[in-house]
Amino acid sequence: MSQIVTNRATQILLAVVTLLAMAGASPGAEYYLRADTTTKIMPDGQTVVMWGFALDSAFGAEDGQVTVPGPLLTVPPNQKNLIINLDNNLGVPVSIVIPSQINTAMVPVKFIDDKGRQRIRSFTHETEPNNTEPVVYKWKNIREGTYLYHSGSHPAVQVQMGLYGCLKKDVEKLKKIDALGIAYADVLYDTEVVLCFSEIDPALHNAVTTGNYGPGKAMTSTIDYKPKYFLINGQPYSSGLPPLPAGSPNQQVLIRFVNAGLETHVPVLQGFHMNVVAEDGYKYRYGREQYSLILPAHKTKDAIIIPTAAGTYPVYDRRLRLTNAGASPGGMLTHLNVAN
Amino acid sequence: MNRMKPKTIMKLTSLAMVLAWTFTGSSLAKIETVKGPTFNLTAKDGFITTPDGGAYLMWGYALDGGTMQYPGPTMDVNEGDTVTVNLTNQLSVPVSIVFPGNVGVTAAGDSNGLLTKEADPNGGTASYSFTAAHPGTYLYYSGTNPALQVEMGLVGAMIIRPSGQPPGENWAYNHSDSRYDYEYLFLLTEMDPVIHEMAQCGKWDQIDLTTYWPVLWFINGRNAPDTMMPANTPLLPTQPYNCLPRMHPGDRLLMRCLGGGRDLHPFHPHGNNFTQIARDGRLLSSGPGAGADLAVSDFTLTVAPGETADTIFEWTGEKLGWDIYGHDVNDPMQPNEYAPDHGKPFPVKLPDKKDLTFGATYSGSPFLGLQGDLPPGEGGFNVNAGYFFMWHSHNEKEMVNYDIFPGGMMTMLIIEPNGVTIE
Repeated sequence: MSQIVTNRATQILLAVVTLLAMAGASPGAEYYLRADTTTKIMPDGQTVVMWGFALDSAFGAEDGQVTVPGPLLTVPPNQKNLIINLDNNLGVPVSIVIPSQINTAMVPVKFIDDKGRQRIRSFTHETEPNNTEPVVYKWKNIREGTYLYHSGSHPAVQVQMGLYGCLKKDVEKLKKIDALGIAYADVLYDTEVVLCFSEIDPALHNAVTTGNYGPGKAMTSTIDYKPKYFLINGQPYSSGLPPLPAGSPNQQVLIRFVNAGLETHVPVLQGFHMNVVAEDGYKYRYGREQYSLILPAHKTKDAIIIPTAAGTYPVYDRRLRLTNAGASPGGMLTHLNVAN
Repeated sequence: MNRMKPKTIMKLTSLAMVLAWTFTGSSLAKIETVKGPTFNLTAKDGFITTPDGGAYLMWGYALDGGTMQYPGPTMDVNEGDTVTVNLTNQLSVPVSIVFPGNVGVTAAGDSNGLLTKEADPNGGTASYSFTAAHPGTYLYYSGTNPALQVEMGLVGAMIIRPSGQPPGENWAYNHSDSRYDYEYLFLLTEMDPVIHEMAQCGKWDQIDLTTYWPVLWFINGRNAPDTMMPANTPLLPTQPYNCLPRMHPGDRLLMRCLGGGRDLHPFHPHGNNFTQIARDGRLLSSGPGAGADLAVSDFTLTVAPGETADTIFEWTGEKLGWDIYGHDVNDPMQPNEYAPDHGKPFPVKLPDKKDLTFGATYSGSPFLGLQGDLPPGEGGFNVNAGYFFMWHSHNEKEMVNYDIFPGGMMTMLIIEPNGVTIE
């Protein structure tokens, strides 16, 4: 009997705590992103002009750093909605979409091409260049998991130019637990690593930035996409690339794999089997024990590893995109550092 | 290089196939392996030949200082073994070996590489040791500049046998769901000949791995139709492994599939679905002791580079709607015959022989195990009157040898009549 009473008391207490937490929570996570240019210097010295997103403190503040991939956006576990206020410093209209999440007002933008045909240019409303007011993108009831956001405008060009980034949301902790976070129901982790794969075809970047891309110009489409640089978290491998911190032995390490590129990659984790727990933000009913995983374009997969020993463990693309414009070593190779 | 004309090669190939199928020896079926747990490999160069008449410079792992081979020796060890692989490097670049899926690999070598310890060029050595902790199918390959070195041929398979299989049975994992009668290796790779030609000319600086464009596709280091020649044929001294799966109706055939190259290949068996029971050396299982309860039935297996997948293939002719043995209703049943079709007549009237052209593997009869009359010079490749099913990459362009069809990533499954010996 006393056990039942205690349980009821706990339930009531939990409900009160939850209500208090909800009362204190804002209706959603809100970010100010700016689409802008940045220049990446490849390990062989080649400079590539890219488009990226910066995280500003407010519209017009322009105090964020433009990065590719863009900033990792987090929706706190106790919040439901996401608002992105977009500022556009590029010369073309851009937008933001997050496939698998519900945009409250997603209206495609159409245009009439030179043959008089109506065609879709953007999956959602656009932010014009040099906008004076933030253009607002809203998503409701954000699902937990790992996702990719990217430009929904002329994505064949704009995604490849660098307008992409990762989004994550965890499950709310309803009781005290030691874990850092809960990625999905029953998937607890102590530390997390994001591995975002993408590629660069410098010819496309050159054509776009010199005004030689488009109908009737030197490069008319992305059909001849031939990437030369292969990036993990925006960085091709080069000598001295620091390993990514991946917790310590016996910790549950969550790896969020995201493919923001156009090619299929097959990350291999050398030294472990992973427990692959989710795909595209949906938890598998049963985890899958693998050391490799197929990661097509736009796919996200989440895996848990529990390293038993400290050390550095390589992660690389087994499609062997391990070169920087022909020079090896390079490309999609990094190391996870498990420290004591 | 004294090259044989393609026609001569095709004739020799045909001759070898006839000889092979006439005297079904140990080198036709099964997986040719090298027993461990200690292996001495040498990285060296050599040439392979392709059925279109090509000969290409390769790098490969040779066994005990022997001939360069593509792929490397299929290592065969038991769960719990301490596996030791000693590597000697006769190439002019550093090389190494990585064993993805195996944990706690202790490496020693001349220098530190990005993925493991390496053997220095021209006589350097390295050594790798680990406990074969989990049964299954594994890949090994060079961890040194793998984009180039895997393409050049430094790749191979390893099989770890389970400790828990009962005497007299063959299991791939420690559960009866992985029980099999025959096992075959499908190590899938591809090749861009330009890279090998550049290498042969020493034009290393002109090799651009971002423009990789394969035109040759391999199973176990051979292109069709060489896949069907016997293992260890003297015609292919550097390509010892064949791939000619054979089974009787009702047998369980284990396919050990490995993505050794850098592209994904949709491998497609004809005749029936397979059941995938494992990936990356782990049963598809919901938990310890549950067996392969998450196994999936499918007709195309996506074999991704670096991954391994094990499937079980079964065939009885179930639901064909006619009796594959041409039985009368009152005839006795064959072992594993699909009973509901017993005695059901062949559903079409066969055309007169003079109105037919004949395939080389037609026995002259539609019935399993029955030879029919064939005009002189026809048939001859099907000595047991078996059924042939093409197994191939369903990326159809991968069924060519440098633009010549048929070839590439393709072989035949033979359903042999009961009583035919298959090792």
